[in-house]
Amino acid sequence: MKKFYLNPSWLIVGIAAGATAAAACLAAPAPAPPPVPPATVRPDRDADLDAQLEAARKRLEQAAHDVARLSSQLSGTVIDRVMPFVEAGHAIIGVQLEPAVGAAGARVREVSPGGPAAEAGIHVGDLIVAVNGTELKDEEPARQVVRIMRDVKPDAKVSVRVSRDGKTRDFTVTARPGPSVLASVRDLPDLGFGTFPEFQGAFLFHGPLMDMELATLTPRLGSYFGSEQGVLVVRAPPDGAVKLEDGDVILAIDGRQPTSGSHATRILSSYQPGEKFTLRIIRQHKTLEVDATLPENMGRIHKDTMWRDGSPHERSEPTRRVLIL
Amino acid sequence: MHPDLDQQRSLARRLREMPDEAAQPYDWSEFQRRSGTRTRPGPGLAGARALAAATVLALGVVAVWTRLGGWSPTPPRPASVAAARLAPEATQPLAAHTAAMEHWLASLPSEPAVVHVGTRAAVTGLEDRIAQVDDLLSAARLDQAQPARLLALQQARTRLVGALVQVRYAETLADESR
Repeated sequence: MKKFYLNPSWLIVGIAAGATAAAACLAAPAPAPPPVPPATVRPDRDADLDAQLEAARKRLEQAAHDVARLSSQLSGTVIDRVMPFVEAGHAIIGVQLEPAVGAAGARVREVSPGGPAAEAGIHVGDLIVAVNGTELKDEEPARQVVRIMRDVKPDAKVSVRVSRDGKTRDFTVTARPGPSVLASVRDLPDLGFGTFPEFQGAFLFHGPLMDMELATLTPRLGSYFGSEQGVLVVRAPPDGAVKLEDGDVILAIDGRQPTSGSHATRILSSYQPGEKFTLRIIRQHKTLEVDATLPENMGRIHKDTMWRDGSPHERSEPTRRVLIL
Repeated sequence: MHPDLDQQRSLARRLREMPDEAAQPYDWSEFQRRSGTRTRPGPGLAGARALAAATVLALGVVAVWTRLGGWSPTPPRPASVAAARLAPEATQPLAAHTAAMEHWLASLPSEPAVVHVGTRAAVTGLEDRIAQVDDLLSAARLDQAQPARLLALQQARTRLVGALVQVRYAETLADESR
């Protein structure tokens, strides 16, 4: 058998060659790795950031919703304590009134932000001199306004004439529902403290409708979609809820014509979960009538926020009144 | 002899030769008492500190108010004047705070170009609630309700307006991140 022996001179040559190569590698700059095309890396990272951003936005919106709901409930507690017997069912225009000193009429002391009067353009300090054509000439003009508003239905147009800086101006205000009786309270055995304003349906909104996006039609958008009025569905609720699709234009909800995204939200908020309504929409330039149902049983129940401090209800068994978000 | 050693001895000798009258005139407890007297502020100094704290607090309030757009060329609103008649010490800061918040709200567009229904429902719910409280405040004044009741309603309104500011701020942030 032939034997192989390691020649020492070869070993020395090998070591020297390896050392030289290593030195060359260290001395010379490492060859730059081939550039990775952004298209192969960035989408993943961007998608991840997009997902995180979307999640953060959802948390922000949920927090905002919680702040609104809890604040509203807290105000209900205060109202309950301070004014337990509220005249229910009348429409409101979103102003605080006070008697005017040295002038005939009711002075606007405060305008509710985002309220009907604010939307119409009524300012603090305006002197209301007539409502729906009736001049305010009673001894108590502010009380006269309250009497007139008793006959006004929610969503009705109210003509308001004001005096501002010595000039008379006319405004049209769309009334909104005022405080009303919470139906479930009537079912409770102990009604020792009377009635109180109910929590509005806005806080019963939940599930797929939360993610819907709407846009008020501008003249240009309207010409594109073939309508001069209505609200565009930018993003329809997922899972086919209320049977809307992206690109639909909502013309009416049970005959009520939404004039803006906020108005459409208010109209939808007036329905209870499970309640049915008819949508008149434009879809691909065709007008359709769609029967829809407000989704229910999609959210979580907030029993802990149902009961109010100091109220007799705390001692009662929970009723069927639940807040579903 | 080494001069340094001579100096030390001389110093020690001088110390030993000092008269007894030069010793500390009071003991440790007296020192503590005097020290306490020195560090305890007099009535004038305490007042000055309270004044300084109040000034800092007031500057903070003014800064926050200014941040919210409280400095406005518009004259004070009649609401503040009327509220002052009710209970000046309670309602004046309340009215000023609410006015600053409403000033900021009024500077916003009525709604974003694209309305996210979930957040908008929170906004409209609060707006409607404030309108209801305003209606109740009108009724309470007409019925000459007790000042405490009016104040409670006014405080509830201020809280609602504060919540509306927060929700609209969140809505603006979410809208801009889309």
